[in-house]
Amino acid sequence: MTAAPSALRALLRPVLLALPALLAIAALPALAHHGWRWTTGENLELTGVIREARLGNPHGVLTVQAEDETWTVEVGQPWRNARAGLTDEMLAPGREAVFVGEPSADLADRRLKAERIVIAGVTHDLYPDRD
Amino acid sequence: MPEALAALPLAEAMRASRWLYAAVNTAHVLGLALLVGAILPLDLRLMGVGRRLPLAPLAALLVPAAGAGLALAVASGLLLFLAGPADYLGAPLFLAKMGLVALGAGGALSLHLGPGLAGAGDGRLRLAGALSLCAWVPALVLGRLIGFAG
Repeated sequence: MTAAPSALRALLRPVLLALPALLAIAALPALAHHGWRWTTGENLELTGVIREARLGNPHGVLTVQAEDETWTVEVGQPWRNARAGLTDEMLAPGREAVFVGEPSADLADRRLKAERIVIAGVTHDLYPDRD
Repeated sequence: MPEALAALPLAEAMRASRWLYAAVNTAHVLGLALLVGAILPLDLRLMGVGRRLPLAPLAALLVPAAGAGLALAVASGLLLFLAGPADYLGAPLFLAKMGLVALGAGGALSLHLGPGLAGAGDGRLRLAGALSLCAWVPALVLGRLIGFAG
């Protein structure tokens, strides 16, 4: 009966030693593209011209020139873009569009996760459930 | 080279499909779970934790499990890589992760192709366990971070 607790302690020791490192990792600020935790929670509207487009899984990324600022705009995966009525050609370099979505909480990132894209007056809703 | 890989029909399928990508992603997680889930207890045993448990039968189960997990993770990882070869090659987190994977796999190979678990001394086993632990856990952390910071 005495062996079991000591073996358990021996097993737990490395876990306890590693705990500070794990906590430090968990405490990293939300850096991310996944989800919406890293965004401000409020929408921003960006009008610009697409300079570069990288479409496809895990999600599309556009480089957008908006006046004198260059923004990284995250769009959907192919199925989400298609559901919103967006073709690859509509998101190609040279196209102008209005991007509505949430920017990174750190505005200096110049990174926007698009919820809606307006092209030639037509609204394409990537996240119909979001405002 | 990255452009040629990205032009493969399989790469196009990985970029465009909804469920293929999701399935491969899931297979990658299963591979990691199997690999890390098997290698961590074995590494700890090599480092002296749970000495009461005989190493040979423990390794007979955990080494093939870890190997199968690595094989699944590598196969699914190659497909995920195909979706954006240039993006991954340009991501420092990905390159660092692959360095750690090479370190972990190389360390395991050198032990098993060299003295083997049965033939290695206590010090060698401890070192192998510590090296493996320091390779696979950070490799997993960096891999996960690619999706968040890449």
